[in-house]
Amino acid sequence: MTVETTTLATAALILLVLLLVLGGVAKIATAGTDAEPGGLTRLGPAMLVPERWRKPMLIFCACVEITLATGLLFTRNPLPRWGTIAFFSVATYVLWELRRRRPDVGCGCFGEASGSPVGLRSIGRAVALTAMAVAVALVPVSGAEVLSGLSLDLAIALAAGVVLLSLLSPELEEAIARVRYRAPCEQRPVPAARALSRLRSSSEWRSHTALLVSVEPEDTWRELCWRFFVYPGRTAAGAKAEVVFAVYLSGRRPAVRVAVVGADGNDGTLHESMGISAAR
Amino acid sequence: MGVERRYALASAALGRSGVPPQAAVEERPALSAVTGEILDISPHLVVLANSEGVEERLVIAPWATAWHGRPVAPAELPVGARVVVRARQSGRVAERLWGDITRITGVILELGKERRDLTVELDCGPHRGRRTVVIPYGASGRLRVRHPQLEPGFLFDAIGTRMEGTTFARLPATSQPAYRATAVPPPPPAYGGIQSRISGAAAWSDAFDDGEAGVAYPMLERTDSGCEDAGISCTGLPYLALGSMLYVGNVCEGRALVLPIIACGCVAGRFCDRCVECGTSPRGRIVELSPVSFVELGGDLAKGCFNARVGLG
Repeated sequence: MTVETTTLATAALILLVLLLVLGGVAKIATAGTDAEPGGLTRLGPAMLVPERWRKPMLIFCACVEITLATGLLFTRNPLPRWGTIAFFSVATYVLWELRRRRPDVGCGCFGEASGSPVGLRSIGRAVALTAMAVAVALVPVSGAEVLSGLSLDLAIALAAGVVLLSLLSPELEEAIARVRYRAPCEQRPVPAARALSRLRSSSEWRSHTALLVSVEPEDTWRELCWRFFVYPGRTAAGAKAEVVFAVYLSGRRPAVRVAVVGADGNDGTLHESMGISAAR
Repeated sequence: MGVERRYALASAALGRSGVPPQAAVEERPALSAVTGEILDISPHLVVLANSEGVEERLVIAPWATAWHGRPVAPAELPVGARVVVRARQSGRVAERLWGDITRITGVILELGKERRDLTVELDCGPHRGRRTVVIPYGASGRLRVRHPQLEPGFLFDAIGTRMEGTTFARLPATSQPAYRATAVPPPPPAYGGIQSRISGAAAWSDAFDDGEAGVAYPMLERTDSGCEDAGISCTGLPYLALGSMLYVGNVCEGRALVLPIIACGCVAGRFCDRCVECGTSPRGRIVELSPVSFVELGGDLAKGCFNARVGLG
């Protein structure tokens, strides 16, 4: 019986540490990307505090989580154990309150990934984690037991815990949806340097390098899923020309198109009204 | 190298026609926009000097209306006013005139008071710089109803007049977004791929050269456009470049044009408003037109927007 409680507590410890670390890292990552507008508009308990406190609150929360995880893993001190119980009990209350006061915002438990509104599942997960924290406080296990107590029982207990938490995690569906339906290539920012390296490894580049006068592009721009690079060059006959490469921005070995346009080329057909001045 | 060659070069690389496509020919009589300074005006005739100093004489239609801070009769426009005219019959008959009209769109930086009038300093984007606007006491009620948060950091969009170097805001061009300019809501996830035509609201801006046709588009790559604020929009817009040809359709009037992208619409992308010119448009300001293009597409400058549909030309 004692062995079983220790095994259960060890499994609970592993899960707690894992979730605390994941949550902390995800929150810090979200707080860090706030340079982009709209980062914290939909997130969790931070919504309950005034706007200027949102980011410090998120970072504070992440620090507490990582401290608790470290304390649980490396010490047998009761302080992080009771701290974890307090943390998840407060989290349960805050989620309940959040669901009542702001039904539109997500729980923010894993930063940006937890954008869907707080439901009973998120609250159920907080309750389950509180119960696990109680188990870890009653049977004070630490990282040492994890290493010494590796067994089939532990694996089964761990698997059961993972299944329980997965069922209670709305983030998982969101993650699967994000993997399945990525934003179309036309809407994804793609750095020019990546397209350039794809271009340089293509056979079109190798077959046209002889025509180029310079290896630095004189102009580059992006239209939908294509990025264009223009190089000063010469035609096979030696006349001045421009070599245009178009690189598709999706896939590992993307399509590359190329054209050599003479200086007097087919550019006399441009739109009459096209003046560029307001741009700069 | 100028971006005006981009279309031809891209067409050569992708093997498409080098001639920019034109919107389908419409049955409605074409509109044209004329801009200039009034040299002389009477109830039936207006004489303008355009940006090259050439005189143009337009007949004023009997049904014509004018705007100069408020609706006025065409003959009441003062001599010397800069006007944008919507004309028919290949630009010979004026039917709507806007005098000294300007649009002030930006992020509020500072507020001040000058006797009973309010002054607002705005950041109009990296290419457009800062502008100071006076909100006359008489217009402040109308503006504040739709701009409840006149505070630094919030967006401002109004239509007004520019006289003797001073800009006066007269009408709100939209309802102020409730969020700060730095907290634009993210676009909805684009499950199931991109559409070839995207609907939303089209606005106009006077940050273009006189008589220039073209659009400012928010979704440009930052490194290509040299605009640090580009690439933000609350609609799922595809990335395009300066020099791309954009199809812009006015849903209300059934008119369409293919126009070049000539500027970065960094401020336009931050507005998540709807246009209610004819029905309610989907959320998001997708394009900002030059006054001439806006008028040629049948828009009313004093109303400030029309329901639009855009796509790559």
